[in-house]
Amino acid sequence: MEALALNAEAGSVPPLDTSSDVARAAAGDVRAFEALYRAHLPRVYSLVRRLTGGRDADELTQDVFVRVWQKLASFRGDASFTTWLHRLTVNIVIERFRSERTNRRRMLDGDDVFATLSGPSVSHDLPMDFEAALEKLPDGAREIFVLHDVEGYKHHEIGTLLGISPGTSKAQLHRARMMLRKHLG
Amino acid sequence: MTDRWTPRLSEYIDGELTAGERHAADAHLAECGDCRRTLAELRTVVARAAAATPRPPGTDLWDGIAEQIGRPQAFDTPPRRAPWRVSFTLPQLVAASLALMVVSGGAVWIGQHGGRATSIPSLGATNSREEPAAHTTAAVMTDGQYSRAIADLEQTLQNGRSSFDPSTIGVVDQNVAVIDRAIEQARQALGQEPANIYLNNHLTDLKQQKLSVLQQVTAAMTLSSR
Repeated sequence: MEALALNAEAGSVPPLDTSSDVARAAAGDVRAFEALYRAHLPRVYSLVRRLTGGRDADELTQDVFVRVWQKLASFRGDASFTTWLHRLTVNIVIERFRSERTNRRRMLDGDDVFATLSGPSVSHDLPMDFEAALEKLPDGAREIFVLHDVEGYKHHEIGTLLGISPGTSKAQLHRARMMLRKHLG
Repeated sequence: MTDRWTPRLSEYIDGELTAGERHAADAHLAECGDCRRTLAELRTVVARAAAATPRPPGTDLWDGIAEQIGRPQAFDTPPRRAPWRVSFTLPQLVAASLALMVVSGGAVWIGQHGGRATSIPSLGATNSREEPAAHTTAAVMTDGQYSRAIADLEQTLQNGRSSFDPSTIGVVDQNVAVIDRAIEQARQALGQEPANIYLNNHLTDLKQQKLSVLQQVTAAMTLSSR
């Protein structure tokens, strides 16, 4: 699964120029690794938080960076470090989802998940409204919405990552957008 | 309101309809105010997603990461204990040196003599003929990257010698020297047999050993300086 994900073209994000820190961190330089952490933390944390709806986002973000430290030796520079890190993050979150999936319901039915929201926002803090609305989505719809509309993955790539058909990915994306439109529109 | 085009408006936005379907959807949208309104709302959602910006967490997560990777805490946090000097018992380090010499010498011998496991010391026989070295840090580095990494670590070691017990730093130097000799032996052997896969793997392993020793020692130095 990971290999498939790493071959995907999606998740391309503007790279940060941290190549010297990457090489030094791969050689065991903790200061360089901390510099990488600080440079990439906002992006990694936001991706984790959006995918998970905020659950365990701190813990998962820490897991991501620990795994990065452990796997830096396998980073060959074929892709930018930013893209590699991004894909590794997605894979780790999906792994977590898989492990949780057996314990709880993933795809909620019905469109009443916004009942707990306080109606159309009167706040001008639009990004926060967007983040709050994301957290209210059912997990499956949110994952696909974040991967497609925020991160730029294609449906066939999402299908490979999540083990679903592209058609299911499209249907869940539309469902998520329809849920969000009342709050964000 | 939902009609047959409502479930397909996302595909319309994403350009995933066929030319014929898009033409039919355009015709429907021209006449259906509800669908036009829904389409506009969906486009707003898509635009908001595309404009979403990264946000850092409310608290710094570095200390938890540093703890898990067994490395020092954040560099800007105050030390949590008095500095300490890194020290191993001399017997431990001597034993490590001897073991390393036996392994390295045996491994080169294997490479040059065809690897008859029964004719070499048992320590050497555990090496990687049956289990080729995994991709290690040294294995994926270019020679230049490896040399720079070693140079950086040796410089760090040089700068931090005062934080180590003199007997400890002496044995560290001895271990590094043993590895360097083993690397040289492996290179000489490879000069005679450049295609010998075992010797190539062995050289990579030795380089990784040196890298690991220097990484661990310099990490310990960083920790002790807090």
